Amino acid sequence: MLQRDTVFKISMLLPLAALAGYFLLLVGSQAAFFSLTGFFEQLSQADIHSAITLSLVAATVSSAVAVAVAIPSAYALARLDFPGKRLVDTFIDLPMVLTPIALGTLILMSWNTAFGSLLASFGLTVPFTMAGVILAQFTVVVAISVRMLKATFEQINPRQEQVARLLGCSAFGSFCHITLPLARRGIVAAVILTWARAVGEFGATVMVAGTAKGQTATLPSSIYLAMSMADLPRAVTLVVILIGISLLVLFGVRMVMEQKR
Amino acid sequence: MIRVEQLAARRGSFTLGPVDIDLEGDSYLTLLGPSGAGKTLFLETCMGLISPASGCVWIDGKDVTRTVPEQRHISYLPQDLSLFPHLSARDNILFGAKRRQLDKEQVAARLAGLVDLLDLHNILDRNDVSTLSGGEKQRVALARALLPNPRLLFLDEPFSALDATIKRQLQVKLREINLQMGVTILHVTHDQEEAFMLGEQIAVMIHGQLQQVGSRDDIYYRPATIDVARFLRNQNIFDLTVEEVLPDGSLWLGNGIHLKAPGYAGAKKGLRLAAGIRSEEVMVIRPNKPIGPELQDNLFHATVDDILVFGGTHTLCVRLQDSGITVDVELPNCAMRDLGYAVGDALRVCLRKRSLWTIPLESPDVWKEDHDDQL
Repeated sequence: MLQRDTVFKISMLLPLAALAGYFLLLVGSQAAFFSLTGFFEQLSQADIHSAITLSLVAATVSSAVAVAVAIPSAYALARLDFPGKRLVDTFIDLPMVLTPIALGTLILMSWNTAFGSLLASFGLTVPFTMAGVILAQFTVVVAISVRMLKATFEQINPRQEQVARLLGCSAFGSFCHITLPLARRGIVAAVILTWARAVGEFGATVMVAGTAKGQTATLPSSIYLAMSMADLPRAVTLVVILIGISLLVLFGVRMVMEQKR
Repeated sequence: MIRVEQLAARRGSFTLGPVDIDLEGDSYLTLLGPSGAGKTLFLETCMGLISPASGCVWIDGKDVTRTVPEQRHISYLPQDLSLFPHLSARDNILFGAKRRQLDKEQVAARLAGLVDLLDLHNILDRNDVSTLSGGEKQRVALARALLPNPRLLFLDEPFSALDATIKRQLQVKLREINLQMGVTILHVTHDQEEAFMLGEQIAVMIHGQLQQVGSRDDIYYRPATIDVARFLRNQNIFDLTVEEVLPDGSLWLGNGIHLKAPGYAGAKKGLRLAAGIRSEEVMVIRPNKPIGPELQDNLFHATVDDILVFGGTHTLCVRLQDSGITVDVELPNCAMRDLGYAVGDALRVCLRKRSLWTIPLESPDVWKEDHDDQL
């Protein structure tokens, strides 16, 4: 019996060990191309500063807007009944199944319509601008945010909101005093994951905003540019920065999730 | 206090009502019914959590059918209590007072009173309400519902998850609250003992319909419908026809069994009705024991077919000799020990006229389809 348990455990642990080894190999293999001197040398270049700043600022703005839109949207999907709910629910998943390149194309094409011209007349230009980077990232990450928050709201007992209503809260008051505090950890996790996804976004961003150095080039698009010009030290430096940011974010998510338990 | 007129609501394929009910101030009504009867849906509709399909709700003479829940001033204690897990016990209790911006001094005095009444001294400052025991959570939730000084308190199966001892303690507290605080209580339950212990008035809801509203005795001894009779565990129900209306208004009923039963307005010969008697109301008499004239009617020779043993009672399943009909007789354990009946013993049973109830059957076909298998 004990032997069977051991075999079972090993059959579960072996694929995990292989997977962890594979990821270690991916990260570790960068060491062959990495030198600390080269790293700091690259880091002092203005266009890398610009890529880092643009990535961080755009990801922060796009994820903040995405979560701000996702909170009421996810609540509506989780709690309210309205005509066409199933259709809307399916439609919102579109960015999750569509390749980012296609999403970027959709954004660009939509800007070549009367709607785009109207916004342009107000001075809002999206193609090949920082606004384009933010819009591309927002389009890709908002669905993730809605999905995560919908699951969070569904876990909250609606009876608690009803009791709050009967104790004197308006619908909005009940949402603020009961639902949001109870969804706090889910919201924090959504913010972190949305932000992480936005920082790493490449396909839609390149389609909409291009890769102009010092203007619209983000960390991922800078890596692509460096690799396409066979500039390995630059590419590795950017990858290491991206890994550092990703590990920090994933660690943050784990901390939040463990608190949740 | 609260009046409900022709209130109807829908949830999926289930339809509630139309329901009419009128609850006076300071009264205690228990809404009794099986699971899935629509009791919670009724409360939710009265509280404004669900829009009614039709009908009106009046509170203190004001039509509140389209009023938002927070302005109906109904306090609510749901089955799962729904304590707010991110707040301490004290903040849970004070939640309603803060939202309604009640006078702080009055709130403090009221809190002190509730702490004493519900014995909350040791749990008031507990930060994590999820660590409270079932009874403690119940008391915190009850205090939270009572602190805003509601005139109407709706309770939805509040004691269903508690053990018998704590349940009894809290039931006694609820009666005190009803009497001392003058709160009108509408208490939903499927527990018949609880309904009869607490309710001054009892309403029975089955299949989304309010089948009967009345006093304890009305509901227990004079069920208005077959469904109510069955739900209240009336084991002895007979499908009979009026054979004769006697000058004193009593009825002779027959159909296999021949019974003398209390009359009612509109009774006439040939009318089909259901008659029944609670198993604890059936008298058992030894075969040779002399009896008075008051027991001569509805007296039958019978044989014990089976004996079922429950906690504090025995149920004798006896077969009437002439008709072959089976009647259940419930005896307390002490009486059973004295009488010492065994399967196969002969005895007499008396279905006393005063203990019988009758229900006219408007549609005999419905009776046949729905109840033949249970007769």
